[in-house]
Amino acid sequence: MRRKFLARRTKGEVVFDIVNTIIMIVICFMMLYPVWYTLVNSLNDGTDAMLGGIYWWPRVFSLDSYKAVFADSKIFRAFGVSFFRTIIGTTVHVFFTSMVAYGLSKKYLMGRKYFMAMGTITLFFSGGLIPTFLLYRSLGLLDRFAVYIIPAMFNFYNLLIFQAFFREIPDALEESAKIDGANDFYIFFKIIIPLSKPVLATIALFTGVYHWNDYFAGVIFINNPDLQPIQTFLYRVIAETTSVQMLQNMPAGIRTTSVTSQTIRLATMIVTTVPVVCVYPFLQKYFVKGMLLGSIKG
Amino acid sequence: MRMQSTASNNVIISPNSKQFFRRLKEQKYLYMMVIPGVIWMIIFNYIPMYGIIIAFKDYNIISSFFEAPWVGFKHFLDFFRDDWFPIIMKNTVGISLLKLIFGFPLPIIFALFLNEIQNSTFKRTVQTISYLPHFLSWVVLGGILITWLSESGMINELLVNMGILDKPVAFLGEPKYFWWIATISDIWKGLGWNSIIYLAAISGVDVELYESAIVDGAGRFRRMWSITLPSISGTIAILFILAVSGLLNSNFDQILVLRNPLNAPSSEVIDIFVYRMGIQSARFSYATAVGLFKSVIALMLLLLANWVTRKLTGKSLF
Amino acid sequence: MGKGYLRLVAYLLAILLSALLFVGCTSDKKENDSEEQVSSENGNNVEQEQASGDSEKSENSEETVEPGWKKDTSPVTFDWYVHFSWYNYNWGETLISKYVQEKTGVSINFIVPAGNENEKLNTMIASNTLPDFVTLGWWEDGVRKMIDGGLVYSLNELADKYDPYFYEVASPQVLKWYEQDDGKTYGYPNFAVAPEDYEKYEKIPSNQTFVVRKDMYEALGKPDMRTPEGFLAALKAAKEKFPEVNGQPLIPIGLHEFTDTGNYSLESYLANFLAIPREKDGKLYDFREDPEYIRWLKTFRKANEMGLLSPDIFIDKRAQMEEKIAQGRYFAMLYQRTDFVAAQQALYERDPNSIYIAVDGPANSNLDPPKLAGPGISGWTLTMITKNCKHPDRAIRFVSYWLSEEGQRDMYLGRQGETWDIIDGKEQYLPKYAEMAQNNREQFDKIVGQDPLWMLGNSLIQMRWAPEPGPAVRQLEEWTYGKAVSYAIYDNLIPPSDSEEGIIHSKIADLWGQTLPKLLLAKSDEEFDQIYQDFLKKRAEAGYEKLLAWQMQKLEENKKKLGIK
Repeated sequence: MRRKFLARRTKGEVVFDIVNTIIMIVICFMMLYPVWYTLVNSLNDGTDAMLGGIYWWPRVFSLDSYKAVFADSKIFRAFGVSFFRTIIGTTVHVFFTSMVAYGLSKKYLMGRKYFMAMGTITLFFSGGLIPTFLLYRSLGLLDRFAVYIIPAMFNFYNLLIFQAFFREIPDALEESAKIDGANDFYIFFKIIIPLSKPVLATIALFTGVYHWNDYFAGVIFINNPDLQPIQTFLYRVIAETTSVQMLQNMPAGIRTTSVTSQTIRLATMIVTTVPVVCVYPFLQKYFVKGMLLGSIKG
Repeated sequence: MRMQSTASNNVIISPNSKQFFRRLKEQKYLYMMVIPGVIWMIIFNYIPMYGIIIAFKDYNIISSFFEAPWVGFKHFLDFFRDDWFPIIMKNTVGISLLKLIFGFPLPIIFALFLNEIQNSTFKRTVQTISYLPHFLSWVVLGGILITWLSESGMINELLVNMGILDKPVAFLGEPKYFWWIATISDIWKGLGWNSIIYLAAISGVDVELYESAIVDGAGRFRRMWSITLPSISGTIAILFILAVSGLLNSNFDQILVLRNPLNAPSSEVIDIFVYRMGIQSARFSYATAVGLFKSVIALMLLLLANWVTRKLTGKSLF
Repeated sequence: MGKGYLRLVAYLLAILLSALLFVGCTSDKKENDSEEQVSSENGNNVEQEQASGDSEKSENSEETVEPGWKKDTSPVTFDWYVHFSWYNYNWGETLISKYVQEKTGVSINFIVPAGNENEKLNTMIASNTLPDFVTLGWWEDGVRKMIDGGLVYSLNELADKYDPYFYEVASPQVLKWYEQDDGKTYGYPNFAVAPEDYEKYEKIPSNQTFVVRKDMYEALGKPDMRTPEGFLAALKAAKEKFPEVNGQPLIPIGLHEFTDTGNYSLESYLANFLAIPREKDGKLYDFREDPEYIRWLKTFRKANEMGLLSPDIFIDKRAQMEEKIAQGRYFAMLYQRTDFVAAQQALYERDPNSIYIAVDGPANSNLDPPKLAGPGISGWTLTMITKNCKHPDRAIRFVSYWLSEEGQRDMYLGRQGETWDIIDGKEQYLPKYAEMAQNNREQFDKIVGQDPLWMLGNSLIQMRWAPEPGPAVRQLEEWTYGKAVSYAIYDNLIPPSDSEEGIIHSKIADLWGQTLPKLLLAKSDEEFDQIYQDFLKKRAEAGYEKLLAWQMQKLEENKKKLGIK
C-alpha cells in the first residue's frame, strides 16, 4: 500500500520530503547537542574540564567521574527504589486515572458537573506543603514506600487528557456493546482500553518520567536512606546553593560541592537519565497508526 | 446518547426519588469507577486545603494554623503595593504570552511535520532525540547557555563573523533580550517532549481518511491542514485552555539560572519574587497569599479560555 | 456480564490483594523497627538509671568528672539532620566513622535536604518531626524557631542530668555567647574562636584576600594597588599588556557572584580592606555611609567607565567563575581564598607561576592595613539536640566526646596505627594518607572521611594535626596572618525574618541589591551620587532607623555577653 503511494509522489512532494528531512536533521542536531556536551564533558578528566572549551570531543578522556559516581554504594539501592516506584506508580496511576476519567466522561452521569467542578478546583488550589505533610503523617505514609505511590495515583490534569482522547472514540462501538448486554466495566476494559493505547502510552510516559524525575517526595517525606530515590541523590550532587553568610563563616579547609568537580555532576546526570531515556523506544510502538481503524473493522 | 443525556438532565432538575434511584442503579458501574477518584480527591486535595487560610493570617511555623492571628488582606495588599508588583506582573505575563504564542504551536507543527516523515526508522530516531533535552536539568542547560551567550561565547562569534553584529553583545546582560532568551530556550528544551501528546493523537487518526484524500489528489499540506489538524483539534483545544490558565506561572528553575542583576528589570517574575520574599525568608502567609492570588486568576483564565474556545470551535474541557 | 466480568473482578481482587500484601509488608517492617526501638529504649533506661546513679556518686565524691560516653557504648543510631544540600557522608564506610562507632557505639544516619533546604527544615519544625540532631548555620532563622518553639533541649539541662563532663570540654565563652534570655544554651557551634584567642594564637587566618595573577603582576612590575589611582592604572596596564588569555579576553577584576542582596566582595569585604570601623561615636556605623567606601565604589564605577569591568562579572554564576579562575582569566580578584582552591590547584599544576597570590589591595587614604574578618565566636554551624531525641543521655555524651580533645583527635585523625601515628614526634597522618589528602581529596574523604565530620570541630585543637597547606595555597593563607580581626560582637545583628525589623532588613537588602549594580554602571560621578542619594532616601523610607535601633539593642546584649564595655 505504502509503496503505491510512494510511487505516486509528485515533484512537489519530493521537494517537501527533502526539505522536511533537512529540517528534522537540523532539529535533531540542536536537541542532541546539549546531551552530547554533557556526555563528552562527563567523559573528560575533571581538572582539565575546568578549563572549559570542551565542545565536541573529550580532551583528556577519563572514566574517573563515572567510577566516582558508582563508588557510592547507595546509588544502586537508589536505582532500585526509583525503578520500583516508577513501575508500580505508573501502573497504578494509569489504571486508576483512566478509569475515573472514563466514568466521568459520560455526559449522562448524574452529578458529573459537580465532580468535574471539584476536579477543576484541584488544578489550581492546594493547601501547601505543611498541611500535606501533616495529612501524610496521619495516614501513616511518612517514611513508607507507599508515599511515592498513593498520593500520585490520580491527577485531574491527566484525567482531562484521557477524556479528550476518549471523546474521539465513536459512540457506536459502546452502544452496540451495550445492546449486547455488556456493563460499563466490560466496555472500559474490553473496548476503550484497547482503543486507547496511544493515550495510555502517553500518560504512562508522562507519569513514568514524573516518578523517575521526582526528588521532592524523597526529600520531604522520607528520612530512611534505604528509600531514597535516585533523583534525590542527583539533586544533592548538583546542588550549588551557597549563601554569602555560609561563605563568610565557613572555616578554611571545609569543602562544599563547589569543589565537587563539574564532571562528576554531569556523569551523575547521565547515569540517572539513561534508564528513563531507554524506555521511550519501547513505548513508541504504541504510537502506531491505524490502530483505531483496524479495531473498528474487526 | 443525546436522548439519554437530556433524560438525565431532567432527573437533576426535578428530582423524583424513585426515578433517581432507578438511574443510580443503572449507573452503578460508572459510579464504582468515579467514586474512588472523588474520595481520593477529597482526601488528598481537599482535606489539606485548610492551609489556604494562612493567607489571611500571620502564620509562624511554631504555632498551628488555627492559632495564628487573623490579619485579613494584609499580605495581599503588601504584594499589590510593592514597588516590584507592576514590573513582575509585566514580566510574568510577557514571558508567558511569548511562550504561548510561539511555544504552544511549535510542538504541534513539529508533530505534524514529523508525521510526514516516510521512513519509520528515521522518524523514530528523530522523535527519540528530540525529547532528550527534556531530561537535562536547567542547572546544566543554563550553564551551557550562559557560556554560549557571553560576549566571548560561540553565539556572538557566529553573529559577528556573519556580519549580523558589529561587536559582541552580552545577551544575558541586556534586559531587552531576556524574554526572548527565556522563550527560545524553553522551546529548545521542551519541543520534542511537548509534541509527544500530539503524536499520540495523530496516531489515532483514521488511515482511510488519508487514503481517500490521496485519491482526491490532496497534497501534503492539504492533508495536514484538513485531515490531521482537525482530527487532533480536541487535544489541542484542551491543552490550549490549560496553557492559558498558566499565564501567571513561569518556569522557575529556568529563570533562576538565567537571571542576574543586569537583566533583573525584565527577569523578575512572580514565582522568583515570592521565592525571595516569602519562602527564603519563611514568610509563609505572604507566599500563600500570592499563591492564592495566582490560583484565583488561573481559575478565571481557565473558565474564560474554555468559554471562548467553546464559542469558537465547539470544543471544551468539560 | 459473563466471563469477561468475572475475569475483571478477579483482576481487581488480585490487584487489591497485592496492594494489601504490599501495605502489610511495609507495616510489618515498621512494627519490627519500632519493637527494636522499644527494646533498645528499655535497655537504655536501665543504663540511664545506672548513669544517673554514677553521676550522683561522682558529685558526692567531688572527683574529676569522668567522660560520660564511656559508661555506655552499646549500639545506638542517631538521625542527624544537616542543613546543607551539598552535604554527603556515608557513615560506617569511612575509616574514621567506623572507628568512632566501634569506640562509642554511636552510628549516625545523616539526613540531608535537596533543592530548597528551608522547605525541609520548616516542614520538620511545623510538624514537630525533627530528628535527633540538627546542624545548621548559626545565622539561620531555624535556630530561633526551634528554640522559641521549645523543640530542642538546652545543653545545660542535659549536661546537668546526664553528663557533667560536658562542662569540662565546652568553652565557657561559647556557652555564654549562645546563652538565651532564660540563661540556657541550646546549641553548640563548630570552629568558634573567642576574641581572647586572637591574643593566644598567632596564626589565625582570614578567608578574605585580594589576589592577582602572579606572572602578570610581576610582569607589570608589581604595581601598588592600594590607592584608587594605582588600582585603576594596574588594571588598565594588565588589560593592555595581556588583552587575551588562551584566546579569550582577560577580565581585569573579578568579584564574588552578584546576588539579590548585592555583592559580598563590594560590601563588608571591601569595608574590611579599607579598615572601616563598625561603630562610630558609640553607634553602629554602616560602611555604606563611609566616605572611604564611597571613594572606592566610585573607583569601581570609574573602572567600568574605562571598560575594565566585564559584563561577565554580573552574569556569571559560581560554575562559570570557577572555570574562569582555572583558566586564569582574571587579572585580579576580591575573592575568598578558600573558595577557589580546586581552581588554584589546576593552575598550579599547569604552571606554578600562573597562580593567584595575595597582595595588598584597596586601602583607605591613610593606607592603613586591612582589618579582615577572622573566625568569630559564633563559629560556623550550630548543632542542637531535639526533644524528639530518643536517647538524650547518649546524645549529650556524644557531644561531649566530640568536643573533648580525644574526640577531636578521633574525628580528625582516626585510629592510631591505621590512619595516623606519631611521626617525627608529631601526631600526623600516615604518609600514604597525607599524600592522598594533598592530591586526591575526593578519595581521601571517601576512605578516611575526616573533612565532612565538622559538626563539632574545633579549629584551635585541630590546628596541630593539620597537614601543611600545599604550595599552591600556602601563600594565600600566610598573607592573612596578623590581619584577621574578630568581628564577633557584630554577628547576630540580623533580625528574625518574619518580624517587622526583619522585613525592613530584607527590603533594604533587596534595595541595596538593586542599587549596587546601578552605582557601578553609572555613567558619571554625578549620576552615581544621585543613585546613592536615592538609595539613602528609600532606605530611610523603608524604616532604617527602626532597624538600627533594634540592632543597637542587640549589640549591647552581645557586648555584655562577651564582657566588652
